[in-house]
Amino acid sequence: MSARYGMVIDLDRCTGCGACMVACAAENNVPPAPPRATPRTGLTPMLVHKVTNGMEGTARREVFIPVTCMQCGDETPCVSVCPQQAVQVDKATGIVMQMPQRCLGCRYCMVACPYHARYFNWWDPAWPAGMEKSLNPGVAVRMRGVVEKCNLCHARLHSAKEKAAAAGRKELDPADYIPACLEACPTGAILFGNLADENDAVFSVAHSPDAFRLLARLGTEPKVYYKSGQAWVKALAEHHSERAKESKHV
Amino acid sequence: MSELLLIDRRWIARGVERSSTMRFLLWLVPWVALLALGIYAAGLCLYYGLNQTNMDNRFAFGMWIFLDLAIIAMGAGAFFTGFLVYILKQEDLKPILNSAVVVGLVCYSGAVAVLMVDVGQPLRAWFTFWYPNTHSMLTEVTFCISCYLLVLILEYIPVLLRNRQLRKVPSFLIFEHQLHKLVPVLAAVGAFLSFFHQGSLGGLYGVLRGRPFVYRQGFAIWPSTFFLFILSAIAVGPSFLILVTAAAERVTGRHLVKPGVFRKLGLISGVLLAMYVAVKAVDTLVWLNITSPSLGFGPRDYYSYWPISSTFLFAVTVPLGLFPALLLIMPITAGKRGWLLFGATLACAGVLLNRFVFTVQTLALPTLAFDDFLQYSPSWQEVATFGGVIAYGVIVYSLSYRYLPLFDPPKGADPNVSVD
Amino acid sequence: MFPWIDGFQWSVGHIIFLSLFFAVVLTILVTIASALWRTLSDFRTHRATEICWRMNFAELPDAERYCRHQLAGRVASRICDNAFECRQCLKYPEFVALPAKTPSQNVGIDFSNKLLYHRGHTWVRPEDDGTLTVGLDELAHRMIGRPDSVELPVKGSEIECNGMAWRMMKNGHEIQVRAPIEGTVVCTGGVEDGWYLRLRPRGPLNLRHLLRGAEVCGWLSGELDRLQLQLSASKAQPCLADGGTLMPELMDAMPEADWDTVLAATFLNV
Repeated sequence: MSARYGMVIDLDRCTGCGACMVACAAENNVPPAPPRATPRTGLTPMLVHKVTNGMEGTARREVFIPVTCMQCGDETPCVSVCPQQAVQVDKATGIVMQMPQRCLGCRYCMVACPYHARYFNWWDPAWPAGMEKSLNPGVAVRMRGVVEKCNLCHARLHSAKEKAAAAGRKELDPADYIPACLEACPTGAILFGNLADENDAVFSVAHSPDAFRLLARLGTEPKVYYKSGQAWVKALAEHHSERAKESKHV
Repeated sequence: MSELLLIDRRWIARGVERSSTMRFLLWLVPWVALLALGIYAAGLCLYYGLNQTNMDNRFAFGMWIFLDLAIIAMGAGAFFTGFLVYILKQEDLKPILNSAVVVGLVCYSGAVAVLMVDVGQPLRAWFTFWYPNTHSMLTEVTFCISCYLLVLILEYIPVLLRNRQLRKVPSFLIFEHQLHKLVPVLAAVGAFLSFFHQGSLGGLYGVLRGRPFVYRQGFAIWPSTFFLFILSAIAVGPSFLILVTAAAERVTGRHLVKPGVFRKLGLISGVLLAMYVAVKAVDTLVWLNITSPSLGFGPRDYYSYWPISSTFLFAVTVPLGLFPALLLIMPITAGKRGWLLFGATLACAGVLLNRFVFTVQTLALPTLAFDDFLQYSPSWQEVATFGGVIAYGVIVYSLSYRYLPLFDPPKGADPNVSVD
Repeated sequence: MFPWIDGFQWSVGHIIFLSLFFAVVLTILVTIASALWRTLSDFRTHRATEICWRMNFAELPDAERYCRHQLAGRVASRICDNAFECRQCLKYPEFVALPAKTPSQNVGIDFSNKLLYHRGHTWVRPEDDGTLTVGLDELAHRMIGRPDSVELPVKGSEIECNGMAWRMMKNGHEIQVRAPIEGTVVCTGGVEDGWYLRLRPRGPLNLRHLLRGAEVCGWLSGELDRLQLQLSASKAQPCLADGGTLMPELMDAMPEADWDTVLAATFLNV
C-alpha cells in the first residue's frame, strides 16, 4: 500500500522561533547567503511568515505560518509544467520529487507554484573554509542555475528504509523517518506522518474541523495541512481575506 | 582603402543603388557597439550566474521572458506572410516576402539566444528533447521553436545565395534554385509549427492553476489564451512588418515596396486585431465572472493595485486594440501613410502591453492571503542584453538589405527551364 | 524522446506529440535532401550550366536583353525571354524571315562577316576539319588590351554553351568569358594567336543562336552606346565622340572608371 506522507502544522503552537528553517538549511546543505542576496533571492525551503490581523493595540493578533512545499496531490501545478520531467510525484510516497540534476533552470515551475515554495540557485554554492565539514553527506549539493524545494527530507526516508532493510523488516519504522524541521521544533507544532494510514495521528488531525489547507480552492490538493482554533487565521487559507494583512519573513 | 571600397562594391548587386561604404560603416557603428555591450552583459550572466539580473524567486520570469514573448509575436509576420503568399495565393504580397523572412529569422534567433542566457543551465537544453513532458506547454514551445528556426534558416538560405558573389559558385546557385522551388513546402510546415508555438506561448500561462490571473478554461487541453495568443500574433505580425519596412525606407531614403502592399498588410492586421478584441472581450467576461471566482479570486484582487488597474485591460482592448484596428481598416485613414504607421505602432504597442501583463503583472500579483503586491525592474545586464538583440536585428537586416535582393524582384520572369 | 529511454511511458499524448514532431522533422529533412539530390543530379546530367545561365539572365536589366531581331531591325521592340537560346526559340523562324532594316555599315569597330558572334563578345569560326575556333571580339579586345593573365581550360575538358569558357585577369578585375558554343577543347591558343580555343562540337552542329550580318551591326552600335554611357557616367575621361573608333587598351587608359559594372555588362555577368 503506497504511502501519502504529509504534515499538519499547528499555528497556535508556532512561536516563530525559526528553528525549523535553520534545521532545514543544515539538513539540506543550503549554502550561506552571499553578500548580495536579498529576502527574495535566498534559499529557504522552509520559510516562516509573520502575519498580523491588521489591527492595533489590544486587538492586534499575530501568527507565524511556516510555508514549505505543500506536496500537492496528483495534479500538482509544478509537475505538469516542467518541460523535462525534472519533478515527479513519487507514487510510493506521494512526495513531489525535484531532481536538480535534470533541471534546466527555466523556472517555469516557480511561476506555476502558488505557494512560492520553490527556490532558485541564483549563485554558485560556496561555504567559508572549514564549514564544508558540516555538510550532510546524505544530501547532494546543488549547482547554480537549478530549482530546488522541500522534498520532505527524502534522505531521511532512505536512511529509514536502509535501517529497516538491515534489520530484515519490509516496512520502515515511522519513528525513524522524521523531517529535520519537526525534529528541531521546540513546541511540537509540526506533525508528520502517512496520510494514507488511518491509524496515523496525522490522519485524524488533518481531518479535524480546525484543520485547513492553503488555497484549497485552486484544487492543488496539498498534503501539508494547517491547524488553528482562531477564525481569523483560518480565513487566511483563501486569498480573499477581508482583513488587511501585512507580512514579514522571519 | 580604395581596395576595400572596390571589394565592397563587388558584393552589391549590379545596377542597384546603395550608400557608400563609409556611410554604411558609420550607420553600423552604434549598433555594433550596442551589440558588443549586449554580448558583454550576456557573458556576465553566463559566467557569474543569473544573480546578475534583478530576477528573484518571486519574479522568476522577468524582462527577458517578456522580450521573448513580444519578439516572437512580432516575428509572426514571417510565417503569416508566407502562408498568405504560398497557401492563400496572395501574390501581391510577394515583394515583401524576403524582408519578412529576415525579420522572422532575426526575431526567432534573437529569442533563442536570449533564452540560452535566461535558463540556469543552458548546456542542459537538450534535456527537453530527451525527456519531453508532453503535458507541458513549454515542451511544445521548445520543440516547435527549434524546428521553426530551422525552417526560417532554410527559407533565408535562398535569399543569401542570391548575393552577387555567392551566386557565382555554380553549386550555390543550383542549390538555391532547387530549394526555392520547395519553399511552399517550408511555408506550409512553418505555418503549422507557428500555429502551435504561438498558441503554446499563450498556453504557458493559461494552464497555470496556481495563478488565477492567467488561468483560463478552454477547448480540450488548450486554454483560451492559446487561441488568443495566435490571434494577436497574426494580427501584430503584419503591422510589425509594415513598421520595419517603413523604417528601412526612411533610413535608405528609397521606396522599397508599393503602397498597396502596406495597405493590404494593414487591412489584414486591422481585421485580425478587431477579431482579437472581440474574442478577448468574451474571454475576459467569462474569466472574470466564472473561472476566476471559482478559484476564490475576483477582479478586486487584480485591479486594485497602483499602477496596475483596470486601465491596462482597457488599454489593450480599446486605445491599443479597437482604435488601431479601425485606423488600419477604414480607407480614410489606412490610405494615408502617417495614419497607417500610427495604427501599426499602436497595434504593436497593444500586443506588447498584453505580453507584459501576462509575464510581469502575473508574478507581481499576490496569490497567498498574506502575499504582497511586488515590484520588479530589470538590471542593466538585462536591458543591455535586450538592446543587444535589437542591435543584432538591425545589423542583420542592414547587411541583408545591402548585399541581398531583399526587395528587388527578379528582373525577368522566373526562369522556365525547359529541361525541368 | 525515444521509446527505449529509461522511464518512458507510452500514453496517447506521447504518441500524438512525438509522431507530429517526427513528421515535421522528416518533412524538413526530406526537403533539404531533395534539394541537395536535385542539385547533384543537375550537375550529373550537365544541366547545371544552363540553369545557372538562365538564372543569371533573369537578373540582367532589360537594356541588356534586347532580342537579336530588334537589333537587326526586323521587329520594333522585343526583350528576349528565352535567355538568348535562339536554338530553342519557337519564334525564331518567324522573325528571321522578316527583312532586316539595320544597315550593315561601319559602326566604329571592326567585325567580320565570316565570323558568328555571341552576345558575350566572343566569335565562332567553323573550320574545314569540323572544329570550331573561338576568339574574343574586337570590342572586348580593345577594352581589355593585354590581359595580365589568361587561364584557359585544359585539352579534353568539356565547355558548356553560356558557361565559362576561359578566365582573364586585368588590373585586379576578373573577367569570366562566356562560351558561345558547347564542345570539347581540342587545343588552346592565346592573345598572340588571335584565338583562344579550338573546340570539337558535340552532336549535330547548330549555330543558329549566334549573331551574324545586320544583327551584329545593331548589336555593336548598341554596345558602343552603352559603353559611352557607362564610362562617361563614371566621370572619368571625356566621352568618345560619335562615329569615332574605340580606343585600344581602354582599361589602362581609364583606370578610374567603374570597370566592375562595365565588365559585368559586357560579358553578361550579374
